[in-house]
Amino acid sequence: MIKITGVTKSYSTSSSEVRAVDDAYLDVKQGEFILILGRSGSGKSTFLGMLAGLIRPTNGVVRFEEMDISILPEDQIAGLRAKKIGFVFQFSGLIPTITALENVMLPTLFCREGPGCRSRAVDLLKKVGMSDRAGAYPRTLSSGEMKRVAIARALINEPLLLIADEPTGDLDVDTEFEIMELFRQLNHEGTTIVMVTHNPDLVPYATRTYTMNRGKLAERNGPGAFGTGMNGPAFQQESLDLP
Amino acid sequence: MNPPAEFRSFRLLRKNLANRPYRNLAAIFAYAIIAATLFSSQFLINGAQQSLDAGISRMGADILVVPEEYTAAGQNVILIGQPNSFFFDDAGFEKISRIPGVAKASPQIYIATLVASCCAAPVQMIAIDQEHDFTVSAWLKNNPEVMLGKDDIIIGSSIVQNVGNDLAFYGHTFHVVGVLERTGMGIDNSVFTRFEDAYVMADESELKAVKKLTIPPGMVSAVLVKVDPGASPADVAREIQEQVPGTKTITPNGLLNAVSGQIGAVMRILYGASIAVTIVAIPLLGLISAMVAQERMKEVSILRALGARKTFVVRLMLAESFSLAIIGGLAGIAAASGFLVFFQDFIAVTLKIPFITPSPQALFIGGGSALLLSIGIGGISSLYPGILITRSEPYETIRKGES
Repeated sequence: MIKITGVTKSYSTSSSEVRAVDDAYLDVKQGEFILILGRSGSGKSTFLGMLAGLIRPTNGVVRFEEMDISILPEDQIAGLRAKKIGFVFQFSGLIPTITALENVMLPTLFCREGPGCRSRAVDLLKKVGMSDRAGAYPRTLSSGEMKRVAIARALINEPLLLIADEPTGDLDVDTEFEIMELFRQLNHEGTTIVMVTHNPDLVPYATRTYTMNRGKLAERNGPGAFGTGMNGPAFQQESLDLP
Repeated sequence: MNPPAEFRSFRLLRKNLANRPYRNLAAIFAYAIIAATLFSSQFLINGAQQSLDAGISRMGADILVVPEEYTAAGQNVILIGQPNSFFFDDAGFEKISRIPGVAKASPQIYIATLVASCCAAPVQMIAIDQEHDFTVSAWLKNNPEVMLGKDDIIIGSSIVQNVGNDLAFYGHTFHVVGVLERTGMGIDNSVFTRFEDAYVMADESELKAVKKLTIPPGMVSAVLVKVDPGASPADVAREIQEQVPGTKTITPNGLLNAVSGQIGAVMRILYGASIAVTIVAIPLLGLISAMVAQERMKEVSILRALGARKTFVVRLMLAESFSLAIIGGLAGIAAASGFLVFFQDFIAVTLKIPFITPSPQALFIGGGSALLLSIGIGGISSLYPGILITRSEPYETIRKGES
């Protein structure tokens, strides 16, 4: 589905060049749940941005269904995102002037041929346990509720790929568990997920796990490779340079 | 309320406007001020010009000849109906009639009445010579049911009386047979009668009025001149002044210049205010839009991350700006219209200008141009935020919002 080959993203500062992502390779297959672990500033969000076509790589190729999105015109990438990629941000990213239900329906504005409509939005809100808050405005929702609405929104156009950037970063443990169970359920239903996090405790949810350290992406040894999370022996051996 | 089955961009636009009331009301107020200022300027200029056109058309004359020392008084009689009495030898009328280029000449006598029963202030009585008249007689031709007979008067629209009423001037009773349409000029405050009745009124005044009225025999106040087709009113006017010493000619152009002079200062203030408001408003609204754009940068970035194209985002911003400009512009025009229509007489009297409510066409053009200016400013002021948004890196902006 996605094949990333030798991707690099560099930023120039006044004195030097910083490589946020350095020669990364990744091959994501349909139905996988890829987790990318890394500390803040390790380059994992930049990597996700390139995966979604929101950031153009300096070098390398990002192929989405055999299409090189690193060279596609911006409007075509936007169209691709609207149709085939769902995005969940660390913060909820809901539009404050419209209701939860309208937020879920919002991406249908950019993908007219998609399946999005009110009945599907209602179904999705039900699926994420938010059907009773459909008419609520974001300011009246809790962080966990907003995150659920954001997940429903990401799914409205039935995307092939769901990208999640630290979706549980600002949540308490119980809400984090609920959200991750939701991701697990979606993955079991066939949604391909690529998610970044700094929390090694989430590794068991993934089918494959990668680490991102100073821009370098490296694959771990399958589910549970980190044992008991950040304190597990494998994790410590590979040194993520966590603070 | 449930949203419709499909989510349309108009709904997003409407809710964005409705759910940001404070900054939107501030922008609407700014647009309203701009539109109201420009519309007011055009309203007053159009009203004065149309009043002048209507008045001159009613007068039906190309040249008005008055005694030299009463030029200003003659203009005031015509423009604002300020009552006055003045005379010159009617031998001048005979001379004027014979000047080449003069097609018709009609003498008139101007009499400032005392305070009359009809009116709070004196009015201007204009006596016409029915044998030579071509002003009132032209109106009579269009109103064949009206006959100006003995002791009959035709009154201007500002004199609040009906046809059939009786009015007394200098103790002489007149009968109202017609009411002229409003022109906004002195004619509205005038009463037209015949020479014969004016002389009888003057003769009776010693006994019937508190003050005697004297109309010197063989004298007239003014001569209205219609020039031959093809003749130049300016050339004929010059010829009259040369051949009839002691007289001064007033032409419609001269009246227009006089009015322009009177209202020029006011117009300069109004136009100056329009320009100043516009100059201040563009950067101010631009600043508001830029602040809003900064505030909404994350929101816009999310839209782009969800698949919105740059053109969609720019169109949304422009649509919001244009909507505010249209709402503000229409509100400003409506408020200015209400104020000006309600106070137009007071404004005209204060500025000493002839004035009638401009025609619907002029109002439409004035309102349309004021609205277009608001929309134009709306477009210009949203240019910078639009550029800012299209140049931003959406994911960088989203990530900044997280920290």
